[in-house]
Amino acid sequence: MKPRHANIRTVLTASAFGIALAALALPTAASAEALHIYAWADELPDEIVQDFQKETGIEVTVDTFDSNESLIAKLEAGASGYDLVNPSQYAVQILAKKGLVTELDHSKIANIGNISEVFQKVSYDPGNKHSMPYIWGTTGLAYNSDCIKEPVKSWKAFWDEKYKGRIYMLDNMLAAYIAALQVNGYSANSSNPDEIAKATESLIKQKPLLAGYNSTNFADLVASGEACLVESWSGSVINVMKENPHVQYVVPDEGGTMWVDGYSITKNAPNAEAAYKFLNYLLQPDVAAKVTTLTSIASVVEKSKALLPPEVANNTAIFPPEDKLAKADFILDTGDATKHYQDGWTKVKAAQ
Amino acid sequence: MTRSSRQRMITLAMLAPSTVLMLVFMVVPMLIVVGYSFADRDSYGGVVPAFTLASYGELLQPVYFPIFYNSLKLAAINTIWCVLIAYPVAYFIAFRAGRAAPVLLVLMLVPFWINFLIRVSAWVVLLGRNGLINASLQAFGLADEPVRMLGTYGAVQVGLLYAFLPSAVFPIYAALQPINRSLLEAARDLGAGPTEAFARVTLPLSLPGIMAAILFVFVPSMGVFAIPVLLGGGKDIIIGNLIVQLFLEFRNIPLGSAVSVVLLALSSVGILLCMRALRRVEMNRV
Amino acid sequence: MTDLAAAPIFTSSRLRWDRWRTAALGQFPLIVTIAAYLFLFVPLLVLMAYSFNASRSTVVWSGFTFDWYVQVFEDRRLRGALANSAIIALVSAALSTTIGTVTALAIVRRNFPGRDALSTVLMAPLVLPEIVIAVAFLVFMVFVNVKLGFFTLIAGHILVSLPFTILIVRAAASALDRRLEEAAADLGADEVQTFVRVTMPLLMPAVFTAFLMAATLSFDNFVMSTFATGVGTTTLPLHIYSLLKLGITPKINAMGTLLVLVNVLLVIIVLGRQLRLVLRR
Repeated sequence: MKPRHANIRTVLTASAFGIALAALALPTAASAEALHIYAWADELPDEIVQDFQKETGIEVTVDTFDSNESLIAKLEAGASGYDLVNPSQYAVQILAKKGLVTELDHSKIANIGNISEVFQKVSYDPGNKHSMPYIWGTTGLAYNSDCIKEPVKSWKAFWDEKYKGRIYMLDNMLAAYIAALQVNGYSANSSNPDEIAKATESLIKQKPLLAGYNSTNFADLVASGEACLVESWSGSVINVMKENPHVQYVVPDEGGTMWVDGYSITKNAPNAEAAYKFLNYLLQPDVAAKVTTLTSIASVVEKSKALLPPEVANNTAIFPPEDKLAKADFILDTGDATKHYQDGWTKVKAAQ
Repeated sequence: MTRSSRQRMITLAMLAPSTVLMLVFMVVPMLIVVGYSFADRDSYGGVVPAFTLASYGELLQPVYFPIFYNSLKLAAINTIWCVLIAYPVAYFIAFRAGRAAPVLLVLMLVPFWINFLIRVSAWVVLLGRNGLINASLQAFGLADEPVRMLGTYGAVQVGLLYAFLPSAVFPIYAALQPINRSLLEAARDLGAGPTEAFARVTLPLSLPGIMAAILFVFVPSMGVFAIPVLLGGGKDIIIGNLIVQLFLEFRNIPLGSAVSVVLLALSSVGILLCMRALRRVEMNRV
Repeated sequence: MTDLAAAPIFTSSRLRWDRWRTAALGQFPLIVTIAAYLFLFVPLLVLMAYSFNASRSTVVWSGFTFDWYVQVFEDRRLRGALANSAIIALVSAALSTTIGTVTALAIVRRNFPGRDALSTVLMAPLVLPEIVIAVAFLVFMVFVNVKLGFFTLIAGHILVSLPFTILIVRAAASALDRRLEEAAADLGADEVQTFVRVTMPLLMPAVFTAFLMAATLSFDNFVMSTFATGVGTTTLPLHIYSLLKLGITPKINAMGTLLVLVNVLLVIIVLGRQLRLVLRR
């Protein structure tokens, strides 16, 4: 009877069709030059990429990752096929130590002088040998002023009994220790085992007050009032701030930290020349200004600030005031102190 | 070619694709992981070839015990809820739904075609302090102030149930569906009431489905990490979180491999028992 | 039936309670099913509602707009990721179901040494956390110098879904009434004919079920995809997770809603006719 045969045939045909589709959809050997980028999704707006493609004729593919850790693991396993990757500052150190990214030839980036002084001499990558900074922000706190009437200025609020059950810390070892170390008066980059131990104690003491650890949807939680106070990266919360004026982002008095997302060229990049062209393109002031306007994140290109619309240029969450920034530093890779941090974090997470 | 050697060829041909797939993509990589569990690490997360039991020794420390225990507890509770709820649903689709059965099955999967992160947003809307459920409770006077739902163990259970219910329904349905209705008629003719007919004919015949459901739910439940974090607040970590943390955040490949091997051992015992029972049931059938 | 008159303990109210209880028990599956589907779909309705949210938030309602739907159609990368996910889901599910069905039948019907061991090994991807499998898979791919891309992604997805397809078809195959096949043989059908015209049609619902499950697992897959993906093969979940850093917007809700509508439409069109034929015996 026809229907029964038809069904097995249908399955086989569908599979064959599917395989054919897949073959067609495979990236064909491009006659145009190609550039492969592995980046944070919303930090490289499609418009910027399209403009570059139009200008140079180089075909750009952008794939996205969700965390620096995934990026490192992916590159470490080898043969990723990417020319440019988009690591955060501490990830640059790790990638450099593991030899996964090449040293940049600054002579190939004409616009390299456009990078502001602050970012020319960075502690995590002296001389910008292994990465080119692209955008930056801060790690601080966000709170909902509906919930917390007095302005919050310090990490101490995260240990305040008043807000029990309404506080979230970032679910990230380095981020949590920024708060714990700074609230105890230490540097966020401490490698002193005693200081780290004290910070661990603070985190364990804090745990019963927390609603939880969250690095995913904490912006939504503070915007909806579910959380009153969250540890936060500046970029993540800017967008909810536009919608909900009750959400405030603050770089705490103890300093907070700065983060930088930059671009590095991978070892064995298939098309390093195109990569250099792209890096140079990103450093043009008009392009940098466009990036900031589209992503609401500050650019490392000083001259671009003048080209910004006033509501962006005056946004203190995007551009914190100078005095606040003076105390902030970059979070670095923990290096030899790693073991102390990891042991401490495991204890904190396992604490009841 | 003799009949039996032809039979053997056919068997081989049928088993070849999956066996090869498993051997190449699963067994060999797994051996690599087992090997890594005995290795050493450098401070940058690389693996230094060595043979040491340090990682396993590390796991014996008291800080790890609650993690394993909580995982087993969470997985067990979730499995029980899933199977208890999945069985009547699968029964309904197989025996009562008629032509609507395939539609119901597909409908059950529809929520999973929307990305997981957005589904979590829906739960925040529903379970949040200012969320829909709290709003309704207060509107109907059932609560004076918002009930805390997000960040509780209950929220995690609800989230896991949501995630694993289809995994439990599908195998039970697959086992119930081919059951010959005439067997049930025969039972009725012999004087069994509907409950007895169910208990003595349907239930035993559906046992392979129940076992598959348990496997589909219990083991993966021990490996989940997103739901306990996003709905439970992330204050209690379970094996899934631990492994992701070790592999990615801590880049401690040997320790991560060791935890994986322990998980493998724990689950394998369960799976072996299940498979044995499955074989016995199947043999009694044939 | 028992002689009611001869059993004085069976008063009429007791009988009514028994009948009521049997009726209620009979309706138990229906009640649980309705509750289960409500449970599954209420969040879905919330998601669909928020796709029209006038603000960027996916949790705080501020008004009605179609803007997000417009954005979905304009977002090149989103559509690309969607296409990738769809193709990979269909292909990997088809292959996984085919291989799984054949394997399940071999395990259930045939005698061979090491059957228990093999069936346990085949469940391996269930046993291990996906991240372990994924990292090991990637390491191995690099070791044998295979270029990451569509094929590795599909292989990875098949790996993850195979235990499911095998077990589902297995559960059905073992519940199958062998006498139907014996009857076919008695009527003169040879092995192949029996297989094609009796066994397979009887298994079709389970095979279809397995296919659905595999396709869904593939479409929503995140961990294996992160490691098995190559250049230009970003899938939808990978794209969305990456958007998290700056926050997801109702654009994702809008896309999800569109996907649900397309799926439901497909079900009505394709399944409406096709499966009614299959299930009719």
